[in-house]
Amino acid sequence: MRRMLLCLVAMVGLFIAAYLTLYHYGVIGALSCSIGSCERVQTSRWSMFLGLPVAAWGLGFYLLLIALAFAFMQPRFAEDRRLALALVILTGWGVVFSCYLTYLEDRVIHAWCEWCVSSAILVTIAFLLAIAEWRSLRALPLPGGVSEA
Amino acid sequence: MAKQRPQAGRSRKPSAVKSAKQSPANRAFYLIAGLIAIAGIGGLTYASMHSGAQATASMVDTTLPPVKSEGYVMGSPNAPLEVIEFGDFECPICGQFNTLTEPEIRSRLVTPGIIRYRYIDFPLDMHHNTWNASRAAACADEQGKFWEMHDAIFQSQDRWDTEATSNPDKVFKTLAKQLGLNTDQFDNCVDSKKYQAKIQAHLALAEARKLDGTPSFVIGDRQITKGLSYDEFKAMVDSALARRRSDSAATKPAPARGAAPTP
Repeated sequence: MRRMLLCLVAMVGLFIAAYLTLYHYGVIGALSCSIGSCERVQTSRWSMFLGLPVAAWGLGFYLLLIALAFAFMQPRFAEDRRLALALVILTGWGVVFSCYLTYLEDRVIHAWCEWCVSSAILVTIAFLLAIAEWRSLRALPLPGGVSEA
Repeated sequence: MAKQRPQAGRSRKPSAVKSAKQSPANRAFYLIAGLIAIAGIGGLTYASMHSGAQATASMVDTTLPPVKSEGYVMGSPNAPLEVIEFGDFECPICGQFNTLTEPEIRSRLVTPGIIRYRYIDFPLDMHHNTWNASRAAACADEQGKFWEMHDAIFQSQDRWDTEATSNPDKVFKTLAKQLGLNTDQFDNCVDSKKYQAKIQAHLALAEARKLDGTPSFVIGDRQITKGLSYDEFKAMVDSALARRRSDSAATKPAPARGAAPTP
């Protein structure tokens, strides 16, 4: 159930990232932002990272997360500890980067974007789910008869 | 990779794996995933389709007195249409509009005399340094260089905005020097906040129109708050000119009955 939840959380995050990416490239004219000032954040100089919009990096991040989470749901990867670890590392990196972005919003840009905060919350949930799955796999005794080619 | 999964008892398997094999849980997953996909794609489609200029433009309140001598004007007094921008110097979208779109508007619409362009300050509360910018631009206007200062202020937004400095006037004084203004006069003007009342009057004009952000444009009888692309801007100018032509044709004696445009 946790793996399904992880996949669903990543899907929601994907659409948030897609929304912000489309805004960045001008497909969407104005952001819906009931609290905070999303446009100030999204048009600040910190909205770019290594030549690409941060939102586009988010899009790639969530696509990868969906792919891994979906694979993790499949019976053949049911007890794959490396996949569990990959999910922990990926979402852990997402949490670190989200913390950095949240710090920028609070201390540097002095403006909040509710979509960014939502994404940060989703990444944190994904990280906790990934940790829980990894721990539950680690708690299992090594399956007998497993042979890796 | 050959992997042989152990045929372990139920208690050995992670809960998620058990769930994944149960079809009701799978069905629920695909149902929720489908709902998220539909909501997401639908939301994105709606947002992209409803961000067009015409879709978000609203009618100008005709009970308000027309703007005559406020703001800063560029272009021919004989141009058939006046476009008013209510802008905030610290607003990033205004900065983008000024640096990316406005040059094209000037060269293709203002210089040929198709439109006249009026800029009116609309300083927003959230921007702490924008009043300083508006006052600096007004001080440059005193020396006949409003538009030069207007452009310089927008182009250097990241050097003087709230996140960059708590003393934006220092940057504006440097810009004034670079623009060849009389710096003593400019510095005195800025320091004494000489044009504070003028900016307040500009703000009142924007508030009277119940504009909800910047940049806002009044183009003919439509107003819109959006960082317009050149094509969107031009489309609104074209339709305003077309409406004006059809209105003036309608007020002339009709050459034949039934020739008046439909509303």
